[in-house]
Amino acid sequence: MSSQGKSGKTGLIFFPAFDWAISPTHPEREERLLYTRDQIFEEGLMDLPQIEEYKPRLAEKKDVARAHFCVPDVEAQVTQAHLIAAGSTLTLADALEKGEIRNGFALVRPPGHHSMRVVHGNRGFCNINNMAIMVEYLRSKYGHKRIAVIDTDVHHGDGTQEIFWHDPDVLCLSFHQDGHTLYPGSGFVNEMGGPQALARTLNVPLPPGTTDEGIHYVLDNLILPVLDDFKPDLILNSAGQDNHYTDPLANMRFSANGYARLNEKLAPDLCVLEGGYAVETALPYVNTGIIQAMAGLDYTHVKEPDYVPGRFEQSPAMVREIEHTVSQVQKIWEQRDELVAQALDGAGDFYRRKRRIFYDTDMINENQEEVVRLCPDCAGYMTITTSAQRGYGILNSAFCVSIPRGACSSCRDDAKEEYAEHLDDRRIGYVLMQDKDRDKFKFYNNMTRTEKGY
Amino acid sequence: MLIGIDVGGTTTDAVVVDGSKVVKTAYVPTDHDNLLKCLLGALDELVQGIDTRKIERVVLSTTLITNMIAEGKTDPVALVLIPGPGTNPRDYALGESIILDGAIDFRGKEIDRLKESQIKEAASRIKSQGLSRVAVVGKFCQRNHAHELKVGELMAAALPGSKIELGHRVSGQLNFPRRAATTMLTAATIDSYEIFAKDVAAALRERKINSPVYILKADGGTLPLDKSVQMPVETIFSGPAASIMGVMALTDPGQSSVVVDIGGTTTDLALILSGRPLLSAKGARVGSLLTHVRAFAVKSIAIGGDSAVAVCSRNNADEGRGCGSLAVGPHRDGPPLCMGGNGPTPTDALRVLGLSQIGDAAKAEKAMQIVADGLGCTAREAAQKVVDGVVDKIVFEINEMFREWEQEPAYRIWEIMLRESLSAQSVVGVGGGAPPLVPLVAARLKAKAIVPQYASVANAIGAAVARPTLTLNLHIDTESKEYAVAEDGLTGRVTNQKMTAEDAERLARRLLAERAALLGISEYAAEAEVTYSEVFNMIRGWSTVGRLMDVRMEIPAGLLPSWGRC
Repeated sequence: MSSQGKSGKTGLIFFPAFDWAISPTHPEREERLLYTRDQIFEEGLMDLPQIEEYKPRLAEKKDVARAHFCVPDVEAQVTQAHLIAAGSTLTLADALEKGEIRNGFALVRPPGHHSMRVVHGNRGFCNINNMAIMVEYLRSKYGHKRIAVIDTDVHHGDGTQEIFWHDPDVLCLSFHQDGHTLYPGSGFVNEMGGPQALARTLNVPLPPGTTDEGIHYVLDNLILPVLDDFKPDLILNSAGQDNHYTDPLANMRFSANGYARLNEKLAPDLCVLEGGYAVETALPYVNTGIIQAMAGLDYTHVKEPDYVPGRFEQSPAMVREIEHTVSQVQKIWEQRDELVAQALDGAGDFYRRKRRIFYDTDMINENQEEVVRLCPDCAGYMTITTSAQRGYGILNSAFCVSIPRGACSSCRDDAKEEYAEHLDDRRIGYVLMQDKDRDKFKFYNNMTRTEKGY
Repeated sequence: MLIGIDVGGTTTDAVVVDGSKVVKTAYVPTDHDNLLKCLLGALDELVQGIDTRKIERVVLSTTLITNMIAEGKTDPVALVLIPGPGTNPRDYALGESIILDGAIDFRGKEIDRLKESQIKEAASRIKSQGLSRVAVVGKFCQRNHAHELKVGELMAAALPGSKIELGHRVSGQLNFPRRAATTMLTAATIDSYEIFAKDVAAALRERKINSPVYILKADGGTLPLDKSVQMPVETIFSGPAASIMGVMALTDPGQSSVVVDIGGTTTDLALILSGRPLLSAKGARVGSLLTHVRAFAVKSIAIGGDSAVAVCSRNNADEGRGCGSLAVGPHRDGPPLCMGGNGPTPTDALRVLGLSQIGDAAKAEKAMQIVADGLGCTAREAAQKVVDGVVDKIVFEINEMFREWEQEPAYRIWEIMLRESLSAQSVVGVGGGAPPLVPLVAARLKAKAIVPQYASVANAIGAAVARPTLTLNLHIDTESKEYAVAEDGLTGRVTNQKMTAEDAERLARRLLAERAALLGISEYAAEAEVTYSEVFNMIRGWSTVGRLMDVRMEIPAGLLPSWGRC
């Protein structure tokens, strides 16, 4: 169910974190939402009867631990700014669930969609994943089963994808400038999710220079039909704004009007701001357009000063490439059940994968080994062995155990055993337990032999 | 000696204050059709036997503008908007307007040009409608006045003798629709206000009162009468402002209090937080229009001593069986039964419970018996239920006000971390209905009840001892080397590109002193404090090309130093 057809106000939280930056000249700095503030305040949007402004709150450590394994603990990985950005999404989630609003937009920074399940530091300007934290909150507090996350940022939403990789009830669909030409270098069509959740991760890499026309082609021919099939309880938009034709970090040609129209058609229940670094030439206009579209207001008067309709045209080759990619993803989606059946057939009791993850902002290299039990009775418990290096020194290492919601007793017992076995193992720095079923989270320090929990 | 006169909704109160003593008070009923007459009536009664040469200051609060707007007696205005890209101007509830091409962006850059022919066309349309007052407001025109000035100039040439108000001169704060509304209201009231101001000045001269005359603004500050003619809308809601200043004057400093002004049909609530009256977050709502006018946050609820009390049966079958539910207000059917009216009211209930001595005891008993019959209880129990209902409603609304204050949006980490939770230390009652009810409200809030000795003339005292207020919002752009003052649209050049936050605050202090001189309140300029200061580096690529700085300085609402508190 999307927000289309629902009545009520659009909830808005504007948290520009005017006192937080990664570094003084970093794109993710204080000034980022300054002109957006000027524009939406000057427009008087918050005064309109269609819009209700909410005050941000701080997310609790537990809210973060529900989505992430922060090593060594949540406190070490977040600042107040991160907790406020994440908490803003939760405030809107509550307002939506209480029926105070029909949809909501968390216009907040710092962003989050490059943060993965394990957090050793900042990756792609993100420390914790606001969207994933909200999804886990909505599911544990309000019992939502199926949620669709549509990532409309120009960069592949690799963090969100990774967090829900094994989850068949969370559809992660990201369209983005293709990974050959842009950070984080992933998000190809063949990234489709874990064996139990194949095709519940969908990626649509697009050629540099894709215009409104191309993105709306993807929306009309792929995203909307897939949502019709998937029938999520909620549609969420990871609303990056760097597909814009003036973004300094990417090469797409999306317009403010294109963004507004996208949100009108997608009709997300909740939007969370991700990236977008054309702070003067795009953000004020794109944000105004998105807010208007969500609130059912006329957005046709929003226009960048240098934009004329028809300014950008896609070459026939580009059009063919986009159509081809869409048809590939359509096929994956159609075959989703067979793909899962094939993958599970003879896969054994456990699924394993090894990965290397690079944290560009903090220059950290992480090695992971992930093991998921392919359990016939529940989603299966998961363990992750992780070690992070910075330069030549080991930064941190941890053994992480996750118990899924609705875990069967055998998975629960085995997971607890895994946790206990690794306590006091001096080769590993920390042992973490994420019990999503009972909403309990434990952090054990093998050096000091102390445990704490949220 | 200081004189304060409050032209209120039903009575006009006046007071003479000497140091911290109330020397004399006077009341006359308010005549809405002739405010000047009742103002002077109160004054004449007040100054009898007083040496007018000793009067140092006269401060008035008036409902003139409030009434004009409420009664739709404002002058017609042509609203001309230059909205640029963004919201469809039809989505703002501003009424009819003329839309012009042209646009300025948030940095003050022109992004679309004006069309001269379109402006001339607009002017002839205004002429044909017979309008002689024009409000011209452009989006972001506070960051670059060129478009408003040009349109104003062309309109003035095309419409000789007309009055033209420009948005940037009325307010420079962000929020285009509020600026448009404020500018429109200014144009619609400025002529009538000017006549009123001149009449007052002349009448005082006749009475040989040569002291400075001030008007009270919605933010509890005083402004010289002759300067106030430029900003008539600022004088709206000066009545509630007077009552809040009165409470400040009559209670201990630094307290967090709730001001409860209980009248016949309405109760006004306001908060004083740690000694500072709470301002409405973005500006006052005037009728259906949201404005930029700085005003105390006042919540009016439709309940008072004269509110009609009714028992509604839950369904027809229950009628007359004594199991109905109680409703107090929102309307008034006339005076309380105990004072010769027809129906039961909270005043009757208070009389029955012995909480007040107003009115006839037997009639009050009769009133409560009517209620008791509907509810199936004794008259005394009915009276208790009526009073509880009134207290419940007031307490609920007070708690809502605190909650809303705590939930006001914040945009910085420190604001979110520091916003403490406050509760009222005292409940201060003013107005006729306050004495019996305020202790009950205070008990529920676990606060101290205060009904000051001069509660009935608190408004006039507030006016008498309020000091001027002044706010200055300075916006500096060191890349374009310009600064702008939001309040009056003053702009200037910045010579020092390496300006620091301290330099910006120094500039703000100088500009505030100049503005204070202009408004005739220089002696208070030193009281100004920086209430907000922010600096943004503007980065292009990887280097800093300039800074955007904002500084807000304020002389907050306060009392004259000569007023020692009671």
